[in-house]
Amino acid sequence: MNHEPMHKIIKLKRYEQPPEGYYQDFLHEFHRRQRAELLNLPLSTLIMERLLGLIPEFRVPAMAFAGAAAVAIIASLAIIRETPRNEMARAYSASYTPTRPYSQAPVTIHNIQPVSLRINMDQQIQPQNASTLFPPSYLLQARPVSHESPLSF
Amino acid sequence: MTADLDSPLNNDMELVARTQGGDPEAFDELIVKYTPRLYGLVYHMTSNHEDTNDLLQDIFSKAYRSMANFRGNSSFYTWMHSIAVNMTINFLKKRNRRQHPSLNDPDSNIENDPDFIAATSNGDPTKEVSIHELQKKLNAAMQKLSHDHRIVVTMFDIQGIAHAEIAKILKISEGTVRSRLFYAHRLLQNSLHEFKRN
Repeated sequence: MNHEPMHKIIKLKRYEQPPEGYYQDFLHEFHRRQRAELLNLPLSTLIMERLLGLIPEFRVPAMAFAGAAAVAIIASLAIIRETPRNEMARAYSASYTPTRPYSQAPVTIHNIQPVSLRINMDQQIQPQNASTLFPPSYLLQARPVSHESPLSF
Repeated sequence: MTADLDSPLNNDMELVARTQGGDPEAFDELIVKYTPRLYGLVYHMTSNHEDTNDLLQDIFSKAYRSMANFRGNSSFYTWMHSIAVNMTINFLKKRNRRQHPSLNDPDSNIENDPDFIAATSNGDPTKEVSIHELQKKLNAAMQKLSHDHRIVVTMFDIQGIAHAEIAKILKISEGTVRSRLFYAHRLLQNSLHEFKRN
C-alpha cells in the first residue's frame, strides 16, 4: 500500500492554527492559573510545602544524629529494665493481702512443736454458723427494686 | 517556533536545570518553546480548541510540579511529549462520546499548497471541494480512529515526528508504530477515498 497520498492529505491539517495571539496569551494564562491554584491550596498543604522546603536548609552536624540515637537507646533500655519490675511489684502487692500477718519469727528446727493426735476435750467446740463460715463480704449486693424503701433516693 | 526545536537539546537541559534550581523564568522559556508543538498534538487528538487550551494548561502545570523528578534519562522533548500524550488519552477516555468539535480555521496559506490543490480538485476543477468541507471530512475521519491509531497519525503525518521518536514517547517498539500507521492509513483511505489522488 502506498502511504504517500494519504500522508499528504492528512498533513494538510497542520494549517489549522489557533487564533492570532493565542501563544502569547497562553503564558499569561498559565501564570494566572498558577497563582489561582496557590490561593486555593488548603492551609495544611501550604504548611507541609513550607516545612519540606526548609528541610534542605536545616543543617545538623552528622554526629548529632548519632548522639541523639545513643541517648534514645539508653533511655529506652532504662525504661524497659525499671518500669516493669516496679510496676509489677506494686501491682502484685496491691492484689495480694494476706488475711493473717505472717509470723515474723524465723522457722527453725527448735521452734517446731510435736503434733499431738489426741483430742483435747477441755476445749469447747465453737458452734459453726454462717457468719463464721463466710467472712463478711464488702461487695455491695444487688437488691430487687421491690425491696427498696420508698424513702430511699 | 518549529526552528527552535532544532536547537541543541542541551539548551533544554540547561533550562530544566535552572527551573529545578528555582528559576521560574526558565520554565517560561520552555513553555514558549513547546506550546505550539504540544498544542498541535493535543488539538488534533481532541478536535476541540477549548479542550486543548485547558488540557495544555494542565499539562504544563503537571510538568512544572514534576520537574523535580525529571532526572534526564530521556530528553526533555520526549518527557514532555509523554506527559502530553498520557494526559490527552486519559482526557479522551473520560470525555468518551461527549464530543463537540471546535475547529480552528485553517491558515489561508493552505490554498496555495499543491497538496491541497491536488486533493480538492482531483484533476477536475469542476469538482472542487471547499476548505471547510475538506477540514470537516478530515476531522471526521480522524475521530473514527482509535486513540492509539490517532496519536501515531497525529505525530507522524501532521507533526512530522520520526518513527523512532514516536516509539520513545509512546514506549512501544518502532515496529508497532509502523504497523499502527499502516492500519490507520488503511482506515483513513476508506473514509477519504474521494480525496485520494490518482
